[in-house]
Formats: sequence, C-alpha cells, structure tokens
Amino acid sequence: MSEPTLVPPSKVVLVSGGSKGLGLAFVNDLIDAGVKVAAFARTVTPELTALAEKYPDQVHVGSVDVTDEKGAQAFVKEVEAKLGPIDGLVNNAAVGQDSLHVHTSAEQIANIIHTNLTAPLVLTRFVLRRMMAKGLKGRIVNVTSICAQRGYPGLVAYSATKGGMDSATRSMARELGGRVLVNSVAPGFFASDMSAVLGQTQLDQIVRRTPTGHLTEPEEVVPVVRMLLLENTNINGQVLVIDGAASI
Amino acid sequence: MSELTRAQIRDLMGEVMKAQGKTLPSDDGADLREIGFRSLDFSELALRVEDEIGDELNFDAPGLRQIAKVGDVLDFIEQLQSA
Ligand SMILES: NC(=O)c1ccc[n+]([C@@H]2O[C@H](COP(=O)([O-])OP(=O)(O)OC[C@H]3O[C@@H](n4cnc5c(N)ncnc54)[C@H](OP(=O)(O)O)[C@@H]3O)[C@@H](O)[C@H]2O)c1
Repeated sequence: MSEPTLVPPSKVVLVSGGSKGLGLAFVNDLIDAGVKVAAFARTVTPELTALAEKYPDQVHVGSVDVTDEKGAQAFVKEVEAKLGPIDGLVNNAAVGQDSLHVHTSAEQIANIIHTNLTAPLVLTRFVLRRMMAKGLKGRIVNVTSICAQRGYPGLVAYSATKGGMDSATRSMARELGGRVLVNSVAPGFFASDMSAVLGQTQLDQIVRRTPTGHLTEPEEVVPVVRMLLLENTNINGQVLVIDGAASI
Repeated sequence: MSELTRAQIRDLMGEVMKAQGKTLPSDDGADLREIGFRSLDFSELALRVEDEIGDELNFDAPGLRQIAKVGDVLDFIEQLQSA
C-alpha cells in the first residue's frame, strides 16, 4: 500500500468577502501567520487597502463581485501571478436576509442563492481546476451558519444556501479523495453589518439560550479556520459549529 | 390597480381579526399585543392588501419590529403602497 501523503498547510489563501466583518478578521490572522493572502469584495475597504499597502508582497486585494464569474476568475489569475498558486480558499462572502419568506421577492431569493450558493460553488470549481491542473493539494473552508441546522424566522433562503454549502462540503470531501480537505465552519450569530438587523430583544434571547453566555465573536471563529487551513488534523468533510452550544 | 385608502386598510385589518373571533378597536393608539394582532396577522393583512391592489408589497422584517400600535400597521402599509 502506498504511504498516504498529508495535505500541506496552505501557502496562498483566497478569502472571498475579506473586506470587513469575519472575512477581514481571517485576512488579518492569516497575514500574522505568515500566509500569503488574497481578498476581494465588491467594495475594497480602507482597512483592506491599508493591509495591501503594508504587505505588498504578501497581500493582494481587489474589487470583485463574487457573482461575476469572469471577474472572479480574472482575480484568481491575478493572484496566481502575484502571490503564486492558490492552495487555500475561504468561501466567506455572503449576503444576509431578514424578511419573512412570503414577503421576499423572487428576485431577492434568486440573489441570495446566487451570491451564497451558486457563486461559491463556481469559484470553488475554478480554484480546484487550477489546483488540480498544477498537481497541487489544498484546503477549502466554507463559512456557513448555524441557520443551516436550526430554524430561524426571516432566514429561509439564506438558511437554504448555507445548508447547501454544508452538503457540498461533504460531497466535495469525498469527491476529492483526500487531495483537498474541505470543511465548513458554522458560526452562531455574531455582531457584524450582516447581523446588525437583529433587534436587541433577539440578541438578548440568543445570549440567554447560549450556555457560554455570550454571542460568538469573530476572534473565536478565526483560530478554527486557521487550524483547518494550516494544521494537520485529518478533519475533512465536517461542519464545525461555533456557537457556545446555543443550538444544542 | 389603485392604492387602498387608510380606511380600506383598516377594514381589511378588521376582517383579519374577525376571522379569529377578535375585534379591531376604533382607536389607532390600541396596543397590538393587547388586542392579539401578531406578526403573522400582519403578514396576512399585507397579503390581503396585495390581493386587492394586484401588486406585491415585499418588505424586510426590521420595519415590522417597530410596529406596536394599530396606527403603526396602517402607516406601514400606506408607506409600502406608495414606496
Ligand atoms: N454575522 C453573523 O451573525 C453570521 C452568523 C453565521 C454565519 N455568518 C457568515 O459569516 C460570513 C461573514 O459574515 P459577516 O457577518 O462578516 O458579514 P459582513 O460583515 O456583511 O461581510 C460580508 C463580506 O462579504 C462581502 N460580499 C457580500 N456580497 C458579495 C458579493 N456579491 N461579491 C463579493 N463580496 C461580497 C462583503 O463585501 P461587499 O459588500 O463590499 O461586497 C463583505 O466583505 C458570511 O458567510 C455569513 O453568512 C455570519
């Protein structure tokens, strides 16, 4: 039997939606870990620009809409030319929702599905093709949500996309035969622009139902993603829930 | 199809409540929790208004959370119609 070869730590990681919130926290953490990082969002924030200026050889950023297939693919090629082949992908970009299903237009549903499910699958496909053509191994982390496993009003289409990504995670891990490790992290609610729509009553209720007594912080998700990208753990095809047991 | 007047919206709201054996008070300041008008009742009202005007009135939930009194419901639907 041939010796199993480990998937090495990622050296060049692409973070979608790395301009703010959780995505920006991943970017900062990976830079600190010495990894080369590429990040995009529709709007490049001053924080992201500052990182690109401070670490010109380690960081590449761009303004890309993840639903623009051609634009995203061009960015991947740009990153490869500047930082080297991508062997790590964090599918983090997503849009939220806060509307009851019956009052959400068909266009809004389509947009949520396009941004949160179709686009990351298409981007993943492209990155995987580039990796495999170069004989590289790699790692993928999909940022999903506790909404994929528990019901929350106002988040029907959003939850469907996150559940879709969790399912894709499992099938990809099988399909890629250990050559690429694919996992999801599923945070509970944390404070960001996306969750800003939640009322204080809802936030208080989530905290009350959380055994650890606080909302998940981005800093608590960051080390888990770092581990999945950089450590040898044999974790593959899993959804790691980070919510202080709120959903248990 | 044209927009409904405030009075017409109020009539529809009364119908939603009547179907549940409740009565809509005439006072716009009445508290929704006290009269038993819940968020899904608001959805039902919005869908009834949509039926009447032949158009969809889609909206996000945060606006709904501000609604506390009968008058707020009427204001919200009026605003949605003219948006
Ligand atoms: N906040 C929560 O409570 C929570 C809980 C569980 C899971 N999550 C997940 O965690 C991840 C990060 O969320 P967050 O709270 O940090 O959200 P956020 O602050 O709203 O950030 C979302 C990021 O995605 C980017 N983005 C959105 N649409 C995009 C598009 N079409 N193309 C490219 N980039 C796009 C945004 O930049 P632009 O808008 O400039 O494009 C931004 O960089 C998401 O996958 C979310 O579903 C969040």
